[in-house]
Amino acid sequence: MPIVEARGLTKVFRRPDKGTGLAGSVKHLLARRYVEKVAVDHVDLSIEAGEAVAYVGPNGAGKSTTVKLLCGILVPTEGEVRIDGLHPQRDRTTVAHRIGVLFGQRTQLWWDLPVAESLGVLRDIYQVDHATYRKRLARFDDVLELGEILPVIGRKLSLGQRMRADLAAALVHGPQVVYLDEPTIGLDLAVKDRVREFFRSLRDEGITVMLTSHDLADIEGFCRRLVIIDEGRIIFDGDLESVKDSFARERILHVETAGPVPLETLRASLPGAEVTEEESPLKYAVRFDRFAMTAGQVVTVLATLTDLVDFRVDEPSIEDVIRRVYSGELVLPR
Amino acid sequence: MRLYLRLLGAHFRSLLEYETDFLILVAATVLMQVINIVFLAALFAKVPAINGWTFWSVLMMFGAVALAEGVGSLFFDGMWNLAWMINRGDLDYYLVRPYPVVLQVSSHWLGINGLSNIVTGSLMIGAGLAHSAIDWTPWRAAVGVLLLISSIVIKVSLNLATNAVCFWSTSPSPMFAFAMHQVGDLARFPLSIYPVALKAVLGLALPFAFISFFPIAYLLNTGSSRWLGLLTPLVAAYCVGMAALIFKRGLRRYESAGN
Repeated sequence: MPIVEARGLTKVFRRPDKGTGLAGSVKHLLARRYVEKVAVDHVDLSIEAGEAVAYVGPNGAGKSTTVKLLCGILVPTEGEVRIDGLHPQRDRTTVAHRIGVLFGQRTQLWWDLPVAESLGVLRDIYQVDHATYRKRLARFDDVLELGEILPVIGRKLSLGQRMRADLAAALVHGPQVVYLDEPTIGLDLAVKDRVREFFRSLRDEGITVMLTSHDLADIEGFCRRLVIIDEGRIIFDGDLESVKDSFARERILHVETAGPVPLETLRASLPGAEVTEEESPLKYAVRFDRFAMTAGQVVTVLATLTDLVDFRVDEPSIEDVIRRVYSGELVLPR
Repeated sequence: MRLYLRLLGAHFRSLLEYETDFLILVAATVLMQVINIVFLAALFAKVPAINGWTFWSVLMMFGAVALAEGVGSLFFDGMWNLAWMINRGDLDYYLVRPYPVVLQVSSHWLGINGLSNIVTGSLMIGAGLAHSAIDWTPWRAAVGVLLLISSIVIKVSLNLATNAVCFWSTSPSPMFAFAMHQVGDLARFPLSIYPVALKAVLGLALPFAFISFFPIAYLLNTGSSRWLGLLTPLVAAYCVGMAALIFKRGLRRYESAGN
């Protein structure tokens, strides 16, 4: 049985349509008009225990709304959610013990309390016994270096410290399912690395993780499954590696030649590749399919036409694939 | 219960962080009650009684309102932040914790000014009782305590219900609740002096009159509707139920806020 299951999940927000300016607001007072925005549109999602799922999509695609629906913060307009077979609103308290949530943009720490006390209050809310709590804290300390920030008051934390403390806060009760919504936003590289290492340790422990992020480096090497949402609909749900194999097969060779070569000549000698001029003269970009030809072959062909001063091969990352999906350039099979 | 106090305690520390605010608030509430008493004394210097109600009985009504308000501020002041929390989407984390959302909201702030209202309110009630001719029996004392508790429950429930209206209005400030709170202040005077419409509002729609007037009328055995005071516990149960229902329904409408 899947641990997280959504069927036909839909959320429609109704917003007052006030037009622009003061005149619009006054008009709204007299004649109320609303516009409906479908934030999440019939999403079906099924996550097995222990999976690490990346949930990505452009801004406003409905990522956070989905996460809020999946943890019971929002009530769906249509469709339903089950966490471990439980209804998130009807069995709210039981569900709360099983899930952990982190919204990167928002803290759950107490503003005027030291981190240690915030975590202590959460321990009491979740009724975690002291021995287990100490053990968990020690583990968090290992990866997140929590010790140094425990005595710091909530409002005095830096962003990186806050995120580490919030991660601990989201996991203090040992949840089975963890939703991480933009957990690395605004962090510097060193902290990001530490946080990512922590994610991997969660996955290795068999905790189900759903990760929402704009930073695709968070996903690579952590999630095996990729779900892409756009305009409220899931446009892809499948294996991350296979996406890379099928769609990141393109390579770009950037070359600088010693003398000018007509673009037509280059194109004629490299059928199957796409040759374009780059911003400065004598520089060209050759786009080719790595399964159709190798970079070596491309270089050899070019070398017969002119002397090459410099060249470099770009390998696309999953980031490029997703960017091209967002822009509609690439259509992934469902 | 212990957890509730722990949550409140978390905010007590916040209070001490800003001690000037704390002192100003305490001074202001004490001053408010002193003004109330001076006003009442001036009023009753001109007239011996309003509709048969003496200075001491009206003082008790003022005291009952102050006490109920004080308990509301000291233990449940977070309710007044509900509008702001909804507007900002601050209930997100509350909804994923295994503790009633309403208690997380109400424990979100500790209004230390409640302490001075509790003290002055109790003193006013005490002074009123000392000047009354109540024939104390154990039964009457027990009923008195029950009525007092019910009165406090009503005030807190009305605070919650009126604040929970923000789930529908999504205004960032508790304007409606505050306006109703002001209306509730009318219940510090004997209900019998008001026109029928106002009686209906304060006695039925928003039963503020059960915080002070009715229970005190029963205790002092004064006025034509003294027996109504015995209904106070029922009214309290009704108010708690309604407030909880409104809050629960409201919570289903909660939309969080965009990131």
